[in-house]
Amino acid sequence: MQLDFQTREITVKLVYYGPALSGKTTNLQAIHHLASAESRGRLMTLETRDDRTLFFDLLPLTFKQGSLNVRLKLFTVPGQVMHAATRRLVLQGADGVAFIADSQRAETRANAVAFADLRKNLADNNLDLSTMPLVIQFNKRDLPDVRTDAELDQMALLGKEPVFKAIATRGAGVAETFLGLFDLIWTKLEREHGFAAKFGLDGVAMRAEIAKQLGVGASTGSTPPEARR
Amino acid sequence: MSEAPTTREDLGEVNRLGQIVDREALGEVCRSFFDLFGLPIRVIAGDGGMLADAHVEREICGYVNGTNGGRLACAQTVGAVRKLLPTEDEGTLHACFTGAVYRVVPIRYQGRLLGRFVVGPYLPAETREVPRSLLVVDQGIDSDRAREALEEMPRVRIETAERIAAHLRGMLDLILFSGHKAHLTSEMHLLSVRESYRELAEKNSELQRAYDRLRELDRLKSNFLATISHELRTPLTSILGYSEMLTSGLAGELAPEQLEFVGTIHSKGELLLRLISSLLDLGKLEQGHLALQLESLDPMALLKDLRETVVPQAARKEIRISITQPVGALPPFRADPLRLRQVLGNLLDNALKFTPQGGSIALGVRATTLDDGAPDDAHGLVLLALPRGALEFSVADTGIGIPMREHEKIFDAFYQVDGSSTREHGGTGLGLSIVKRLVDAHGGQIRMESKPGEGTTFYVTIPEAE
Repeated sequence: MQLDFQTREITVKLVYYGPALSGKTTNLQAIHHLASAESRGRLMTLETRDDRTLFFDLLPLTFKQGSLNVRLKLFTVPGQVMHAATRRLVLQGADGVAFIADSQRAETRANAVAFADLRKNLADNNLDLSTMPLVIQFNKRDLPDVRTDAELDQMALLGKEPVFKAIATRGAGVAETFLGLFDLIWTKLEREHGFAAKFGLDGVAMRAEIAKQLGVGASTGSTPPEARR
Repeated sequence: MSEAPTTREDLGEVNRLGQIVDREALGEVCRSFFDLFGLPIRVIAGDGGMLADAHVEREICGYVNGTNGGRLACAQTVGAVRKLLPTEDEGTLHACFTGAVYRVVPIRYQGRLLGRFVVGPYLPAETREVPRSLLVVDQGIDSDRAREALEEMPRVRIETAERIAAHLRGMLDLILFSGHKAHLTSEMHLLSVRESYRELAEKNSELQRAYDRLRELDRLKSNFLATISHELRTPLTSILGYSEMLTSGLAGELAPEQLEFVGTIHSKGELLLRLISSLLDLGKLEQGHLALQLESLDPMALLKDLRETVVPQAARKEIRISITQPVGALPPFRADPLRLRQVLGNLLDNALKFTPQGGSIALGVRATTLDDGAPDDAHGLVLLALPRGALEFSVADTGIGIPMREHEKIFDAFYQVDGSSTREHGGTGLGLSIVKRLVDAHGGQIRMESKPGEGTTFYVTIPEAE
């Protein structure tokens, strides 16, 4: 998180992590599609076919809240195993991570490997998974032979992180995942920096504004952060 | 990980226009806009610095600047325009006392205000009269002259000016996006290279540690070899001494069978001693403790003497040993006689061992030179020392030969071409490695030529002592 008092600007970094081809870029494309023209920037895709060490997407979103500018920068990381250096670089200074998992049974192992990789790369960046806002999205719910809803619900109860289900190609569950992550990040930032007191920033109003800009009702998101605690 | 990568929380951040646009290229874009629409364009960075400026001085500007009041008013207007910070996307209009206007439009990128561009001055198309503000700016202003000068000022309708500004804004946005993308790509390139370098450096230091450890182990092994050989020799000397005493009858006459047994103990003991001595030699050579005792010696006499010592063995296998006479006189020559003898004796032993019944061995020596690795094409030859005079000894046999792929390994300690337990020829695999090290200690070279089935020739070149 970067705070610029002079320009009254908060910049928050969200990273979409996950195994190769799990739909991270599709999530960003869907958000870009959902977001209003005034809040979204251009989706930048950095793909260089010749040099495969670079490969990520960047989507900047900007929301006005009173006189404050809230800038959200959404990054994806390259899922391929060989792009470890890029993943580590993109994770630097991340405020929250959305882990995009592939629902297909055959991808269970790839999900687990990518998650172990996330844990390691966070540690290498001196970031701690236990304090890092994290949501998990099970994408590709429309494909055959996926892990069942019941199975995921049961696993979600055991785990610590909020779990979302999505079909990113249709934009389903994408905004919910994003807002879910935003809630976690905001709760943590508020606790650490006290924005409400310092800037008179109303977290609930801002969340409503973001939800509006994404074209969803504020109630469709995950459990509000207050209720979770 | 030993070191965390440099924290770069601002990856992908753009704070300044100059960070992602090329000033010159931006200037060209503005110039082409100016050429196309006739409207002056200026791009101002967030800090107020001028990034691009495409305009020509208008007649009216020159005219009013010629008066004191006009110059003052013009400076005030331009200053105000440059300080203007518009908030709306379509920008703000600022009027000049001449009736012309400036349109100031913010340049935003990713929700951040990075600067502004100014279109104008131009006259709104609707303007008909010379404004009063122009006429009163200085007493020297002549209304007809001012009207004439104003005529040449570009006239644009409000909507047209808005469209042009919107077009420029869209184009600048595209330029910023492309510049940002290229900037980010190169930034990631650099960071990735640094990251890869860091990984490689870590791996290298791991390898270095492993290498150092192996070297230490190797040194310990050599130490151990030297110590144990020495310790083995002491009791063995007693065994040899007592068996010799028994043989000589110091402890009473022995029966023929007893004598034969003691003789076997003695000869096997001798064999063991030779083996241990070579281990000891190897240990010393590896540690570089071997001191050479250089003396003048006669190479031909050395070869003849060597042949004499193996005559009985050669006779048993019906192997003929010849000595090739050198062409011309040999130069005077110094070497450690004991060690050189050991080298050639070892090669001769090997030749005998691997040459089948009825074969032949040829010993030879000739004068030659030894250079210190002169390049084949003689380039840079002058940089090297003069080739030194040397003697080249050769031991050629008609034995089983050595396969090509083994040529590089035969000088390694303990290496056997046939390492199987059922091999035909015995030996410890120490001989050639000792030979090589002894030759090295003389500053010489050893090489071989061999064809499996036809025979092997070893060449030992020992340089003249310096």
